[in-house]
Amino acid sequence: MSRYFAPAIAISTGLLVLLGYFLPLGSLAGLRVVIVHWAVVLSGAAVFVGVLNLLSVHVKKIRTKEKNNIYSLLLIASLLFTLVLGMISGSNSSIMSNIFNTIILPVEASLMAIMAVTLIYASIRLLRKRNDLMSIVFLSVAVLVMLGSAPLPFIQLPLFGDLIRPKIVNVFATSGARGILIGVALGTLLTGLRVLMGVDRPYGGK
Amino acid sequence: MSFSPELISGLIAFLLTLFVLSYLIGDQILFRATINIFVGASAGYVATVAWHQVLAPNLVRPLLSGTSAEKMLAIIPLTLSLLLLAKAIPPLSKLGTPSVAFMVGTGAAVAIGGAVTGTIFPQVTATINLFDMAAANERGISSSVQFLEGGLMILGTISTLVYFQFTAKRGTDGTYRRNLFTKILSLIGGIFIAITFGVLLAGVYSAALTALIERLDFLISFAGSLWLP
Repeated sequence: MSRYFAPAIAISTGLLVLLGYFLPLGSLAGLRVVIVHWAVVLSGAAVFVGVLNLLSVHVKKIRTKEKNNIYSLLLIASLLFTLVLGMISGSNSSIMSNIFNTIILPVEASLMAIMAVTLIYASIRLLRKRNDLMSIVFLSVAVLVMLGSAPLPFIQLPLFGDLIRPKIVNVFATSGARGILIGVALGTLLTGLRVLMGVDRPYGGK
Repeated sequence: MSFSPELISGLIAFLLTLFVLSYLIGDQILFRATINIFVGASAGYVATVAWHQVLAPNLVRPLLSGTSAEKMLAIIPLTLSLLLLAKAIPPLSKLGTPSVAFMVGTGAAVAIGGAVTGTIFPQVTATINLFDMAAANERGISSSVQFLEGGLMILGTISTLVYFQFTAKRGTDGTYRRNLFTKILSLIGGIFIAITFGVLLAGVYSAALTALIERLDFLISFAGSLWLP
């Protein structure tokens, strides 16, 4: 029975939500809102499943005395510290904003800052390993756009800021991005329809 | 020197920034320790937000203090949430399958609705409007320039889509067999994609450079504030 139960749930809820989107019936729209609301609640519960899984993986690493398990200990300590304080004080409390501003924000900004160096390194490696037309176009466009947008200290490059960069960004890149976006949307549409028809069953039904 | 909470918080941020930037001289213990602390704190933070912003107001509060209709309506997501939590316990993980199926079905329908009404219709409409000569003339752009730009953009959009055509038959050597016209369109599409990603790289690099300047400024100003009164 469970073989048909999960696909039946996925297909019926999906069709109800989809009909609520496209048919102008008040009752269907109301049902769609209720189902999407339940899905939002479930995604909140899914976050806890993820956190529990993360904890169990690292507890296992400590218990089996895996190499470098000190990092797992640090991860568990910081997770429990943040979680307990957050549960007690609330997500908008000054304690949580302090944790955000002291740990999360500096590390995220620093990881972003590292990218300034790693991107240069990756670009040089790209030219050395794959020196073809696409790589040259890709990196030349990046340099041209940066020359057109960055304020240079002693010289003003004519045409870069007011002609070359706008044309590259507004005509060439926009049309490429539009093609990619339409392609992604068509792929999403197809994958969604396969799920709703029961052809793809990523939830594990047979 | 008095150790105020601001100073301790600034000192932790200073050290964590320094440890992350130390990755530039190699992947070593300080960087790895900082990343693990960051992952733990982020996971704890996200779980806290999920509890206080999603689960407490939409599930717990209606069950504890809602009307009888609200309580009845909250029983289904409560049951599905409890079943989903069983996914974290390996022997009981199969119990969570209906909840995952519910999320996947709803997610697929929302994705279809979003793709059709949020991407395909607006993008196709924008492509059609490229040939609205009256609107172009009102903006002071001549019809011939607008026609040329519109044609170039249509070529870029279509050739990009052709580049991602994977339905061609494979030859004996494993390569895709396409006719000459499709091959040329695909090559043009590849160039448009390279230009698009080049522009994206320039944007990401500018953002990364801004972050690097901001972090270096923070390090210098914080270190300076430790020594200067």
